[in-house]
Amino acid sequence: MSIRPLCAALAVLALAGCAADPAPNEQMRLTAQALEQAKAVGASADDVPEMKLAEEKYNRAKGSMADQSFKNARMRAEQAELDARLAEAKVLTLKSEEQLNVLNTRIARLRKQLGDAQ
Amino acid sequence: MNRGSKVIGCLILTGCASLYGCAGQHSEAALQQAGADFQKVKEDSNVLRIAPKDVIRAGESLARADRLSTYWGSGSDVAHYAYLSQRYSEIARQHTNQVLNEERAAKLELERQRLQLALRESKLLSVQQQGKWLEEQIVALATTQTDRGLVMTLGDVLFDTGEAELKNSANRVVLKIVQFLQLNPKRVVRIEGYADSTGGKQENLKLSRDRAQSVADVLMDLGIDDKRIQVEGYGDEYPVDANASERGRAQNRRVEIVFSDEKGQLGAAR
Repeated sequence: MSIRPLCAALAVLALAGCAADPAPNEQMRLTAQALEQAKAVGASADDVPEMKLAEEKYNRAKGSMADQSFKNARMRAEQAELDARLAEAKVLTLKSEEQLNVLNTRIARLRKQLGDAQ
Repeated sequence: MNRGSKVIGCLILTGCASLYGCAGQHSEAALQQAGADFQKVKEDSNVLRIAPKDVIRAGESLARADRLSTYWGSGSDVAHYAYLSQRYSEIARQHTNQVLNEERAAKLELERQRLQLALRESKLLSVQQQGKWLEEQIVALATTQTDRGLVMTLGDVLFDTGEAELKNSANRVVLKIVQFLQLNPKRVVRIEGYADSTGGKQENLKLSRDRAQSVADVLMDLGIDDKRIQVEGYGDEYPVDANASERGRAQNRRVEIVFSDEKGQLGAAR
């Protein structure tokens, strides 16, 4: 009486475990790509904390893949992808800010020269 | 045994409940934070304009986390999707800032170009003013504003005796003439050579012409178009002083540069 439902529950759990998560190969590829892209714009783990997170999570995802722990692998890879994308976006935003500063400096210099000239 | 299994069952249940409680609290906070972040980007018209896709994804992930939070034991999934939603919101925000910066930079670039043009114009103006200043200097150097026009005299000291070559000491005044002619591209000059009365008439004529020519040559070397330069030799004619004294003769040995007016009208040659 007490054994049977337990067995059923176990069976359901085991089934759920099997059915839920195939190997997230596509997600792993997307994450690798996002990491590449972030690196390409100059995001490094030393300068951008999100990049460090992304690399750590991606490595853990690879570990989970090796352990056939696909759900963990997928979740980590998904987070790593967005961490990398955020790192990339931050670097690009920073660059646009620097660009803005350069322009402002130049304009200030021009205004000063114009002021001197008049 | 029956009692034992009950106790174990109880323990497992309470264990699960407390775990769920912890996870639930954690994921609840994450969900609330993600919701707040999403609300902020959703209400920002710039973010909606620039990064609509990321906002949509943030909303989708948030909805998923929200739905999962009603299921039992899904704490880690809720936290996961809340995390993704937060990331999407933040990416949308960063992307928006980047594009806003770029838009501002484009405007500033136009401003910069406008200022650069203005500066160039003002520099040009100052060069023209400098040109006016130089003109005044030339006028001062020339001293004689005769009926022939503006006349500048290069004295005998600028030549070696009996030689036509201009000495190096004439460089400064020559450079000034060149600069003046470059700033006044329509002006032309007539270079007139004069000698004193010692020596034969033909020799004097030749020397006066050669000296005038050597001044013209230097001007041409320095980039003045030869079409703008006339050369004349007058020998011992038109003395400015009596040839009786050494000082007078030295005054008479000279090269005169006659400048045209700004339109290029040169007085008639003698």
